[in-house]
Amino acid sequence: MGQNQSGLPGQTPPTGQKEEKKEKKKFEPQAPPSRVGRKQKRQKGPEAASRLPTVTPATKCKLRLLKLERVKDYLLMEEEFVANQERLKPQEDKNQEDRTKVDDLRGSPMSVGNLEEIIDENHAIVSSSVGPEYYVNVLSFVDKDQLEPGCSILLHNKVLSVVGLLQDEVDPMVSVMKVEKAPLESYADVGGLEQQIQEIKEAVELPLTHPELYEDIGIKPPKGVILYGEPGTGKTLLAKAVANSTSATFLRVVGSELIQKYLGDGPKLVRELFRVADELSPSIVFIDEIDAVGTKRYDAQSSGEREIQRTMLELLNQLDGFDARADVKVILATNRIESLDPALLRPGRIDRKIEFPLPDIKTKRRIFNIHTGRMTLADDVNLEEFVMSKDELSGADIKAVCTEAGLLALRERRMRVNQADFKKAKEKVMYKKKEGVPEGLYM
Amino acid sequence: MGAPEKEDVKKDKMDEDKPVSDTVKDAKKDAPQKDKDAKKKKDEKEEDLSEEDAALKENLELMVERVQDKEAGVQKLALEQLRTEIKDSTSSMTSVPKPLKFLRPHYDTLKACYEALKPSENKTMLADILSVLAMTMSPEGSRESLHYRLKGSLENVGSWGHEYIRTLAGEIGEEYQVRTAEEKKSEDLMALVRQIIPFHVQHNAEPEAVDLLMEVESLDLLMEHVGENNFRRTCLYLLSFASYVPEPDDSLVLRTAFKIFKKVKNYDDALRTALRLNSSELVAEAFSACEDPLEKKQLAYILARQGFALDLESDISLAGDDERDALQEIISNSKLSEGYLTLARDLDVMEAKTPDDIYKAHLIDSRTPSNANVDSARQNLAATFVNGLVNAGFGTDKLMTGTGEEASSSAAAGGGNWLFKNKEHGKTSAAASVGLIHLWDVDGGLPQIDKYLYSTDNFVLAGGSLAIGIVSSGVRHESDPAFALLSESVNKDDPAVRIGAIMGLGLAYAGVQKEEVLELLTPVVLDSSVGVDVAAFAALSLGLVYVGTCNDDVAMAILQALMERGETELADPLVRYFLLALGLLFLGQGEAVDATVEVVKTLHEKVSMHAQIILDSCAYAGTGNVLKVQRLLSICGDHLEEDKTPGGVAHQGAAVLGIALVAMAEELGQDMAIRSLEHLLQYGEPGIRRAVPLALGILSISNPRMTVMDTLSRLSHDADQEVAMGAIVAMGLIGGGTNNARIAGMLRNLSSYYYKEPNLLFTVRIAQGLVHLGKGLLTLNPFHADRGLLHQVGLAGLLAFLHSCMDFKNIILAKYHYALYFVVPALQPRMLLTVDENLKPLPVSVRVGQAVDVVGQAGRPKTITGFQTHTTPVLLATGDRAELATEKYIPLTSILEGFVILKPNPDYVEDHLDK
Repeated sequence: MGQNQSGLPGQTPPTGQKEEKKEKKKFEPQAPPSRVGRKQKRQKGPEAASRLPTVTPATKCKLRLLKLERVKDYLLMEEEFVANQERLKPQEDKNQEDRTKVDDLRGSPMSVGNLEEIIDENHAIVSSSVGPEYYVNVLSFVDKDQLEPGCSILLHNKVLSVVGLLQDEVDPMVSVMKVEKAPLESYADVGGLEQQIQEIKEAVELPLTHPELYEDIGIKPPKGVILYGEPGTGKTLLAKAVANSTSATFLRVVGSELIQKYLGDGPKLVRELFRVADELSPSIVFIDEIDAVGTKRYDAQSSGEREIQRTMLELLNQLDGFDARADVKVILATNRIESLDPALLRPGRIDRKIEFPLPDIKTKRRIFNIHTGRMTLADDVNLEEFVMSKDELSGADIKAVCTEAGLLALRERRMRVNQADFKKAKEKVMYKKKEGVPEGLYM
Repeated sequence: MGAPEKEDVKKDKMDEDKPVSDTVKDAKKDAPQKDKDAKKKKDEKEEDLSEEDAALKENLELMVERVQDKEAGVQKLALEQLRTEIKDSTSSMTSVPKPLKFLRPHYDTLKACYEALKPSENKTMLADILSVLAMTMSPEGSRESLHYRLKGSLENVGSWGHEYIRTLAGEIGEEYQVRTAEEKKSEDLMALVRQIIPFHVQHNAEPEAVDLLMEVESLDLLMEHVGENNFRRTCLYLLSFASYVPEPDDSLVLRTAFKIFKKVKNYDDALRTALRLNSSELVAEAFSACEDPLEKKQLAYILARQGFALDLESDISLAGDDERDALQEIISNSKLSEGYLTLARDLDVMEAKTPDDIYKAHLIDSRTPSNANVDSARQNLAATFVNGLVNAGFGTDKLMTGTGEEASSSAAAGGGNWLFKNKEHGKTSAAASVGLIHLWDVDGGLPQIDKYLYSTDNFVLAGGSLAIGIVSSGVRHESDPAFALLSESVNKDDPAVRIGAIMGLGLAYAGVQKEEVLELLTPVVLDSSVGVDVAAFAALSLGLVYVGTCNDDVAMAILQALMERGETELADPLVRYFLLALGLLFLGQGEAVDATVEVVKTLHEKVSMHAQIILDSCAYAGTGNVLKVQRLLSICGDHLEEDKTPGGVAHQGAAVLGIALVAMAEELGQDMAIRSLEHLLQYGEPGIRRAVPLALGILSISNPRMTVMDTLSRLSHDADQEVAMGAIVAMGLIGGGTNNARIAGMLRNLSSYYYKEPNLLFTVRIAQGLVHLGKGLLTLNPFHADRGLLHQVGLAGLLAFLHSCMDFKNIILAKYHYALYFVVPALQPRMLLTVDENLKPLPVSVRVGQAVDVVGQAGRPKTITGFQTHTTPVLLATGDRAELATEKYIPLTSILEGFVILKPNPDYVEDHLDK
């Protein structure tokens, strides 16, 4: 120690750092900030200390019970201790004092700026809205783990040091995707599709509610499912039912929403979507009409097409990429599965493909019953006639027939819907469906 | 979001949508529909059943009707049909089996019908069916399922499916508790249990079998069902179970595991379990049951690591004296030094390091003025310690034994010169460091130390005595030189010499329970004419020698000494050694301490409270006893004022350490205790804050976790110097022997931060030495064998070290700095050294990775993650686990740590690709 007085090369990076820092000079350049970029989740700092240890095994057994009880005992002791301490020596005043002190340091008003770069633990480059960039201090009470380049920060009004940060956690684009109010459709409103319901439950709901079942068997639960089938066979309906029944966060997107105006915005949105899903996990992401972004790759001519493909590539990575996401399940829906990129559907990304066929007779009957259940029908209505007919009616068609019949009755100011209404309605629906070819012409 | 509100509405529900997890009872509790018209919907739904369902329903209804028929034949037919329907129903995970669903409305009918029936075959059959139905129907807590099962046929329970068995097992547990409370017999339950256990064991559900047997308190039944194939899973579960069940069940669980291991002839695990139980009979039983001489050697290695003295003379299973000698050699650890040096040679770290290599002063910005105003004696002392710790066990260094090729100091010479650069008692530590450098190598070390024993300088003489103790720490030499050389010095006049010899004896015979030492030291403890320091060290040495034995003689001697000492003497900082010695006697012994605690209450109020807490926390060390933690926490919660309380606040510091001590055995407790300590930091008085870093240090010893590191780094800049010192030492402890670059960097920064504070700088140096302990080949962790076994002597040494650090100013920074050498018994190489049948090192490739908790997992899950393949010998960090990467050899022990004997695999076929 102390044999070399000075003159070691590169001892202080020429950043214009002020000399006021005390003995903390080093030969090495300042240790780089522990982390740059994406916000670190529950890793370091006080949050990590307050996190509870994970309890293995996940299987329900007495050992797990005992371990959880042990954790609970400790928590109770902590509670008791803290309660006692608060009684003996209230911290409120002290906290209040600290808070006012911090407020004094912050000063007011504060200006809002943008964090451009973190230089070291205590310094950063910021830009204010008016233009110039500044090299400023980061005050010690700012949570450095939360700082990331590009985030909005509060600056002191005179010296412009970073005094706080604005936490807009979630991209507003993503926050609208969150389903706040559960849809009204439940599994009971789905006619038939028992097989499909079971599959989707096993693949999506059960892993979130009972992960230990999968551990018991020793398999990893599926990551996602794709629902495909003709239009109107109930894919979206089933997704709604899932959203209705689950207590997990449900994020729903339509494929076309992922296509953005500016280059790179689409992939960014996908990333943000999955990040939010991960933060709010357990969660279910539902992407409807995935063929908007998920078509097979080909030599694209326009940059727009290329951008769409890049969006899909980001989606591929999020589905089964480098970072494992445990509690995020994905449901995709499309009616053109054959046009989707094979990479999207490979096992590991989308493990289960659930087909939604046109309803068979039994199912048709149930769908009719569901839709006519709340209608006032005349006595002469015989639904069997429609149920047994050979026409390819999808669930949506049946609903259309029922609505149309109701409308017809309404037109004639009748209070009941009769058989003739249904017949007419069906013809009308089928006429539209077959694009002008009248029913029965070629049969 | 549609969060399913859990309501206890039972009968009207939409059973189709509910996931049936593992008990169908969940379905019972599940909410119906949130809508109010749930009932209406149900009616609708029943109408639109599919045709098959409708047919099934009709069929079932018909059968229910027939069951009520008068004719026995019709009844029987119907019952049989019902039974097949229920058994055949392949339920999906997500819904209740249909037959059960449709039979639900008829449950009460069937019940009534059952009551009306006369005892007959039909009645039992109906009871069976009702029992299954009760699984979904009966109200919670009524145990109807079990009730009907007991009435029904008691055969073939398994045929009703796994779900049913689980429900039944749950109800048996409840019923058993009720019956025990009412003191009723439970023969019938046991008959049922005997059926369920084989079912569980056959279906890979060993944990469930264990759970059930624990509930009915008859773990012994497990024995007959466990065999070669499933003992590992079962015992793993049992062993991890044992950490969490209260006394005395834990020893019951461990004993069961022991019996199973013994039954399947897995003696190494049996031995470990016996050691965990700390029962010498079981250890001897496992050892003598093992017949293979090679395997016996492996067992001897395990015993050696634990420092367990087994009497081989009485073991008749040994073939001859040769074998006995060979085993004795292993158990006495005399090969430890050799193995350690093999490891060092293999890793190419034989080159001795100087303290400057550790300080890495060139990495610190050197514009700080050179240590002009620093007490250079203290610097030299620090260098002595660092030098000793870093080169521990290597047999060479550059300050004490080196030939002087290193010109780091002005005097270009080694040996004696460095010794005399230290002043007075500094020389004691310097001479003793020679012992540390030759750690475990008695034959090689004694000649080096010899010269100090003829010194006329009393300090050097004391250091020499201490060095002898350190050298023979943890190893037993056949000619037992330590006692012969030291016993004389104990009764010399000079207190320094006496302390040196006494401490040397304590270290050399830690955990050995050597009676000569007892006879020699007891008078010293009792003699109230000698200084407190000599008596205190004697007491602590006795505590180390008789650690965890509850030895009455020692306890009485110490108590008597405490009673005889006057009030002023009891204020001496070293008095804590008396108390700690008492604690060490009962280390890990649990309730055995109670009587002594009562006696201690009568002691002078200055020490009484302190002694109680030390005794309590030591006795329950590593048990994870939550009640003790609670009591200790509440003691820490008191806000005492130092001068107003008669006993001082020292006991609060001991309580903080106690929390760590009780909780340190299992990871869950460690994590939670670290959380609790955060609160102590926030609310505690200074006395408590000072102990918190040390407690953190022992909770995460040799395990540099980021969270702990951050906390300690924060505390190391604390305004209270003693907190900072504690934090710095704790940083050394958590980095103990890891060479952790992050901690090393932090300490380097601290050394320039505190360059003006000689005391703090000294602690920084000690911490640096600890981090680079044995150049990174050693560990301080007293837990070994996959964190399953506690090395008591090691923990005792650590405790002595920590309690010395509790009063840094008066012990370490005063003239008793050699108390730092109490850490020596905790030093163990963190190596995996594979040897062949002739005990020669055998390099094989092993995978080393982070251990994964695989208790209760299905199949053969990976036990390590993020592994790297190395060739032995390798280093294992805390939390690491190793497994062989080749099939060519079979290890003789299931846990690859320390010395492992390999034998060639007879089934191994050389793969031509595998060159």
